[in-house]
Amino acid sequence: MTRNKHLLLWTSLGSIALLGAAITDEHFRQEWRRMQLDYRQQLPEESAVQFPIQLRQIVVPPLQATDRCVTCHLGMIAGGEEIVGDPVFGAHPDVVHDPAEYGCTVCHGGQGRATRKADAHGRVPHWPEPMLLPEMSYAGCGACHTHLTVPNLSQLNRGQALFERYDCLRCHSLEGRGATLRPGQEEGVDAPDLSRAGIRGFEPAWYEGHLEQHRNAVTGPWKTSFGEIPAAERTAIEVFLSSRVGAPGLVESKSLFHSLGCRGCHLVGGVGGDDGPDLTQAGHKDPGQLNFSHVPGERSVPNWYAEHFRAPGKLVPGSQMPALELSDSEIALLNFYLLSLRRAPVPQAFWPRDRVRAEHLGEREFSRDGETLFTTFCSACHGDQGQGRRYAGMEPFPAIANPDFLTLASDEFLTETVRRGRPGRRMPAWGEKDGGLRPDEIDEVVKYLRGLSGVAPPAPEEESRWAAGNATLGGRLYASACASCHGEDGRGQEGPALNNPVFLEIATDRYLVETVRKGRSGTTMPAFGSPALTHRMLSQEEIEAIVTYIRNWETQP
Amino acid sequence: MSHPAAAHRKDGSGALARFWWNLRSTPQMFREAVFRSGKPTSDRSRSSFVFGNFFLHFHSVRVHRWTLRWSATWGLGVITAASFALTFITGVLLMFYYKPYPDVAYDSIKDIHYVVPTGRFIRNIHRWSANLMVVTVFLHMARAFYTAAYRSPREYNWILGMALLVLTLGLSFTGYLLPWDQLAYWAITIGANIALSPREVTDALSITVYFDPGGFQKLLLLGSDEVGEEALIRFYLLHVMILPALLLMLMGVHFWRVRKDGGIVRPSDADRRLGPPHRNTYPVFTEQPVKTYHLAAVVRGRSPAVQGGPENTVPAMPHLFYAEAAVFMLAIALCLALAILADAPLKELANPAVPENPAKAPWYFLGVQELVAFSAFTGGIVIPVIVLIGLALIPFLDREKQGTGEWFGGPGGARLVLISAAFGMSSSILIEAFAIRFGWLREWWPEVPQMLITIVNPGTVLTLAYAFFSIWAMRRYDSTRAGALALFTCFLCGFIVLTVIGYHFRGPNWEFYWSPAHWPGH
Repeated sequence: MTRNKHLLLWTSLGSIALLGAAITDEHFRQEWRRMQLDYRQQLPEESAVQFPIQLRQIVVPPLQATDRCVTCHLGMIAGGEEIVGDPVFGAHPDVVHDPAEYGCTVCHGGQGRATRKADAHGRVPHWPEPMLLPEMSYAGCGACHTHLTVPNLSQLNRGQALFERYDCLRCHSLEGRGATLRPGQEEGVDAPDLSRAGIRGFEPAWYEGHLEQHRNAVTGPWKTSFGEIPAAERTAIEVFLSSRVGAPGLVESKSLFHSLGCRGCHLVGGVGGDDGPDLTQAGHKDPGQLNFSHVPGERSVPNWYAEHFRAPGKLVPGSQMPALELSDSEIALLNFYLLSLRRAPVPQAFWPRDRVRAEHLGEREFSRDGETLFTTFCSACHGDQGQGRRYAGMEPFPAIANPDFLTLASDEFLTETVRRGRPGRRMPAWGEKDGGLRPDEIDEVVKYLRGLSGVAPPAPEEESRWAAGNATLGGRLYASACASCHGEDGRGQEGPALNNPVFLEIATDRYLVETVRKGRSGTTMPAFGSPALTHRMLSQEEIEAIVTYIRNWETQP
Repeated sequence: MSHPAAAHRKDGSGALARFWWNLRSTPQMFREAVFRSGKPTSDRSRSSFVFGNFFLHFHSVRVHRWTLRWSATWGLGVITAASFALTFITGVLLMFYYKPYPDVAYDSIKDIHYVVPTGRFIRNIHRWSANLMVVTVFLHMARAFYTAAYRSPREYNWILGMALLVLTLGLSFTGYLLPWDQLAYWAITIGANIALSPREVTDALSITVYFDPGGFQKLLLLGSDEVGEEALIRFYLLHVMILPALLLMLMGVHFWRVRKDGGIVRPSDADRRLGPPHRNTYPVFTEQPVKTYHLAAVVRGRSPAVQGGPENTVPAMPHLFYAEAAVFMLAIALCLALAILADAPLKELANPAVPENPAKAPWYFLGVQELVAFSAFTGGIVIPVIVLIGLALIPFLDREKQGTGEWFGGPGGARLVLISAAFGMSSSILIEAFAIRFGWLREWWPEVPQMLITIVNPGTVLTLAYAFFSIWAMRRYDSTRAGALALFTCFLCGFIVLTVIGYHFRGPNWEFYWSPAHWPGH
């Protein structure tokens, strides 16, 4: 019995000690308690007395936010007193959205319910949404601002360069820079901050107003820091100003994304190609689901994306994505944009204007000029000048700005090709029900393409099907002259497939005959109508026979 | 008790005095009303106390000294009961905050973890005591088997114990879904697929349309085609009401039967082996016990006082109570320590679109899951049912007397157990190594019908090997007990080997890895 008594004594004492340890842990050793004690010490005495040590949270049911971040970030809670300059206890930087109304995690990610730093910031195992890194905070805007309008990248860059060149920052401030002088000198008022000019709007007659001041002034900034600006440059500056929506970096990154043709393969919000993964929720990628065995550095989503841009096939075996040879700064920007693709299931009452306009009124988030549309949807495969592209390990993409091609291809041919794509090849259909482009947008693209080469469309034909050659002869000729590149039965090999139903339907006989006769410079397609050493010259009659033979595939593929 | 103011007074002040007296003596009267036998100061009054107390009366008033040796039971039953008590108490506390609805459930666990005062600690205790309970319930069963405690008159209690084992596993399994995280979701999906697995057979016979026990079982378990809110509410109800109620009831019967079957098993010559009691022992009870004999006259069987005389017994109070309390506190201290050291797991919110890979069941089912990887029906249903039936039949197939109450008692003894362990371990490791290295039927002939794999797979091969080994042992020692020892040991070792393989050596797609560090992506 003595042994049992001893065992009872020691296990009981042990249990009491363990309970004591748990109590101590609960009441004195919690991280947030120590943080709040630290905060209280830094408060002025009269506030410190009234400051209770307790958990604090922001609850926003419609956004499903229960965010206890303010338990430590005490300067950010409604009515909280900030400790100026403290990285934790400081106030929230000036934003349109009050954290008290929106919570924290809606924008920043992380784990709102957690009360320990590591867990709350979310870079822990089993939390799918780590907090956005501070330098990428504005990617969080994408949770609600899913359709933020962006201008064409070249316009944006030009506008920005002009904005800097014309020294607007001398008086105006923009995203924390500039405003070294006051226009009315020492006693005058500050020039407006332009960081949100895109939302607040600006005086349409700003230039005239500025110019008048400049002319009236004798000395000072109005005289020295302002000068005449040509109309075209003013427009560029205005484009730049309209894009200033208080999310530095986001517009630039989105604009870059829309200049690289990424949407040729990737859907975003239902518009785009479907060769690659849908990117609508790319910002919600769970680091726990990614394979980091080939990714150097920290196991974070931005790192993974960066490595993926450098060598897609290394990270995703069998990836169809070409290595785009991007610079590090471009990769950083694309990363920024991808992380901003984090559409949250927020109720419509919380939708911002851009999303309402896009989803209810059908407005586009990108500009609808031909150039932007072409760079957004076509340039990744066809090149930014329509010169075609070659990627290692992939069939070459056709140079559609090729004058030989454009002289033969009517606008209708181009429009139909864009609208219906080429089934069986990588060219997707871009019609409204497929890739999501509207008829007028396709027209813009065709017009832009036409402009790239400067070649006028062919004269309209009265009859599109007139070739009536000998199909048997055509078959024999096809087998000897064409099949080596276009494959038996036109199924395509080195050269494109010809038995493609959409192609056969929209290509006119003239298009086919002339292409065979003149060939396509810059490709391996020779001109069969001219004498050459490498192949037999074909007569007009023979070419028509081949076209007649090819037409057979339309009815019996 | 005499009333000094009992005499009636003419002025009527007697009632007031009595009232005053009654009021003053109320605490004492209350104590007497509760503890009827007065302060337990002597052996006799202590015995009456035990007998008269609802919470203590399932103990014998006196216990045999053999029972109190640590090696007799290693306190495993009490630890199991203690961990159940802990899970019960912490579980009730958790119910205050837990909300059994998908997504909300996950959030409520997060809140318990982060903001409910001591919530994390309580949840950890719940988790660890539940795990401890599963471990000790297995060990307790092994103890009962190896000391041949299942033999007459304890056959029924052995079967009750098996029911308790099944209920314990059921409680653990149902509790697994409640956090509604990835771990839970996919573990239960595996469970549901095991329930569906009779289709392996009905599909092969093309009778699923007419007779579909698999589909019915799954529907019964989940209340729907998929793990969803219906499943969650079912599992919740099972976890907090139905299974605990059954468990409590059966536990009561189990304990009561321990007493009625003559206490803890001991060898027939226990008295001789123990020798005279230690001089420090409480004096041996020599007076004629009042109630025990009365009761013994009614109760058929071998209450200690009837069979061997009271010489080698000691009063349950305090001897047994100290032992029980000590082990009880040991279990509590263990759970508290574990709860401080390690958090209960909580993975990502359940996401039906992102399967866990590998999705692993709780550890005590990983042995089964290892077999399920070959055939869900054989591994998940047939073999476990065979094992359970086999276990239930043991007391009726082995009716020998030799070795009762001794560790590894019976023909063959510890040596046979060692040989069986070696055989059980090596054969399970061998067959697993073979299947891992060379694959199984499916890898050799991809077109092979699943029915064949259902019949011929490492699980069935292993079961047959164990059966033949057990028959060999039975013939070799000419003893049913030897066969039972061999078979039980083999299955125990096989269970351990398969569990370890499933727990540590299986990675994504249930492929073999020497360590989780080698999993792709890490």
